[in-house]
Amino acid sequence: MARSSTPFQRVLISGGSGFVGAATARAFAEKHPECAITIIDLQPPGPTHVVPDSASFIRIDITNADETSKVLQQVRPDVVVHTAGIVPSLAERFGRRLKKHVWRVNVEGTRNMLEAAKGSGVDAFVYTSTCCVVTDDMRMPYPNIDEGWPTSPTSLIYGESKAAAEALVIQQSSDEMRTCAIRPSVLCGPGDYQLVPSIHACIAKRETPFVIGTGLNLWDVTYVTNIADAHVLGAENLMTSRTAAGEAFFIQNNEPITFRDFCLAIWAHFGHFPSFELHIPEGLAYLAGMVSEALTWISGGAATLSRGSVRDACAIRYANGEKARLILGYEARVGIEEGIRLSCEDYARRLGIELPSSSKQKEE
Amino acid sequence: MGLVGNILYYSIRPAELRSIIQWKVWHNPVHERNETDETETQKACFKFLDLTSRSFSAVIKELHPELLLPTTVFYLVLRGLDTIEDDTSIPLETKEPLLRNFKDILDQDGWTFDGNRPEEKDRELLVQFHNVVTEFKILKPAYQAIIKDITDKMGNGMADYVRKAALEDASVKSVDEYDLYCYYVAGLVGEGCTRLFVEAEFGNPALLKRPRLHKSMGLFLQKTNIIRDVREDNDDNRRFWPKAIWSKHVDNFDDLFKPEYREAALNCNSEMILNALEHVEDCLFYLAGLREQSVFNFCAIPQAMAIATLELCFRNPAMFERNIKITKGDACQLMMESTQNLRILCDVFRRYIRKIHKKNTPKDPNFLKISIVCGKVEKFIETIFPSQKAEDAKRRIEGAQTEEEAAKARQDAETRKDVFVMMALMGVFAFFITAIMVGIAWALGARFDLAWQELKRGNFSPQKPVKHSEL
Repeated sequence: MARSSTPFQRVLISGGSGFVGAATARAFAEKHPECAITIIDLQPPGPTHVVPDSASFIRIDITNADETSKVLQQVRPDVVVHTAGIVPSLAERFGRRLKKHVWRVNVEGTRNMLEAAKGSGVDAFVYTSTCCVVTDDMRMPYPNIDEGWPTSPTSLIYGESKAAAEALVIQQSSDEMRTCAIRPSVLCGPGDYQLVPSIHACIAKRETPFVIGTGLNLWDVTYVTNIADAHVLGAENLMTSRTAAGEAFFIQNNEPITFRDFCLAIWAHFGHFPSFELHIPEGLAYLAGMVSEALTWISGGAATLSRGSVRDACAIRYANGEKARLILGYEARVGIEEGIRLSCEDYARRLGIELPSSSKQKEE
Repeated sequence: MGLVGNILYYSIRPAELRSIIQWKVWHNPVHERNETDETETQKACFKFLDLTSRSFSAVIKELHPELLLPTTVFYLVLRGLDTIEDDTSIPLETKEPLLRNFKDILDQDGWTFDGNRPEEKDRELLVQFHNVVTEFKILKPAYQAIIKDITDKMGNGMADYVRKAALEDASVKSVDEYDLYCYYVAGLVGEGCTRLFVEAEFGNPALLKRPRLHKSMGLFLQKTNIIRDVREDNDDNRRFWPKAIWSKHVDNFDDLFKPEYREAALNCNSEMILNALEHVEDCLFYLAGLREQSVFNFCAIPQAMAIATLELCFRNPAMFERNIKITKGDACQLMMESTQNLRILCDVFRRYIRKIHKKNTPKDPNFLKISIVCGKVEKFIETIFPSQKAEDAKRRIEGAQTEEEAAKARQDAETRKDVFVMMALMGVFAFFITAIMVGIAWALGARFDLAWQELKRGNFSPQKPVKHSEL
């Protein structure tokens, strides 16, 4: 990205110690080095998600409205990037146990951020939404969707809460404070604690030969720095041409691949190749998911194999990235192939293992 | 394959036989050629068309009458150029000016050429080239200009190549050189055809504003041929695979054909196919811009054959041992499917893309790239023919139903009711059978009263027999 004259002086990033927040802080620092970055989060930035040295940190809980508004009054940013939110772990994704907690952070937290931002004269508010606002309603496939597709009020706790929060953000867009929502697909990248680790874990569990469904369903995956770029582009747009005001954008690598191939590529980096392949029809897997759910219901806890996870693995979910390209000028700077390699190398480092040399040769 | 062989072959592949019969019996050309009115020179041109090309003559001869002769002449002119270029017996001093000035020959009445070696297979075309010249000169001036321009560009491109081959090394090194070579021998044909179609108002003029599209049409076909014919070309001492690609997999080009390097050869082949697949999106986009059925068929048939050929070659070790070809049955089916509309053709592409995807293996260094290009094609097809629209999704979210869905729901409810009635009937049936069996047992003296008492005491199993050894 070319360095441009900075259309803003102070940026505040909520959830800046997290996966997306820290990457966004790095992207702002790279493209606008002269702008001051403030990170607010429950936890201070750590070694997993590195933030720029220049960024200052304030510890607050955004579910506390007074505290949030006090901090914004104190920092008085031009741009707020609201990445803070809860993504339930895979085990809790399909249940409703955490509903209250998720809604409090994702919806109430967003309401507090919006009110605080309005009260302190913020010009641009960029919200980290998710493609799940549409795709968590698992009753239908989502091939090549665009922003005209409806968000679902009744899906999974995550999608529901993010959809409600996104609606608040979009409604609040005005001439004084422009808002937009960035909807990333599933993410991977250094520090990812959900996607690559859980796919890698299949090797030890000897689950790699099993393919649920046809294995032809396409998915979007996004490398984390690309999503960070999109946040910067969103902020720039809201401060200049303002064409993104009140709009939501699907952001992804725009290289949909099958979920199976994504897994195979990760396993290949770790030197694992399934020795055979067994296709399990979706119906059968769904039934097994139901049984597993029933068993864990009796024993308590959350099921790893569930009807939801089966549907997730067989889902078709990829978006058409035209709107983001036309309005934000967004293009993925890191291709998915490189993104997967970087994610695997990072995870191998965290695990303290060496990747087989074959995957290193590919780097050239 | 003899008759017996054929019978055996098709008796285990009835679907192929069906395709062949369907194509031969039910295929009607969009435009039937009227042979009775043809002049002598026209007849000669069609004769040479048949002689020089098997695959193209059929599709050319079914073209709309407006384009029939322009395309035939265009094809024969390019074939003439090719015949001069291919002939290694013609010295550079003769060959180079011939190629460079071939466009002017088109205006010279009665021009013929007998300088080809006798074994050159299309020699006769040039010996009687005056027929082509005569027909060229009575074409509409606009068509003449197009044909002349392309002949000029191709002749010069070939002359450059021949010169380079004679004076230095002409082997294809970089991927750019590979693309350039394919552009001269095939991309230009795409350009010429497109200009003819647009001139005849059978193609969207926007096709000319995106030269990348028609270039891709030609390159996709040419690259497919280069991939498929690698063995045959190598046997004839010709190499078209760019060094930039093969050197990543083997040290010497000849290693590709050695059994001990089979895995490397297949990976190299994958990379070549990946390179060709990059053009698919453009090709489908291009085909969407055609407005006349016979022109669509003319363009679509070779494209469908090409994607099927790539699928056949993908991860197929046989292609390094011999020349491989798609089966006749498949070819007939493809011809049927590519002479209807873009939607059906897209289904063909999706089918073959999925087959390629299925054969893709994570051990291949280009595994992900191939997966990504397959995904891109699927996404593109979904863009032109969406399987579900945002409006449908909205309706579903709101719970509203269309007439169709409501009818389906009613039908489902009825089916469910039927199932319940059946199950109730089965229950009644089971009850009666049980009652009868219990009744018979009772009549024969079974003591249900005792059994009931034992059960109430919690004795669910019969009493254990006394073990005599304990006595």
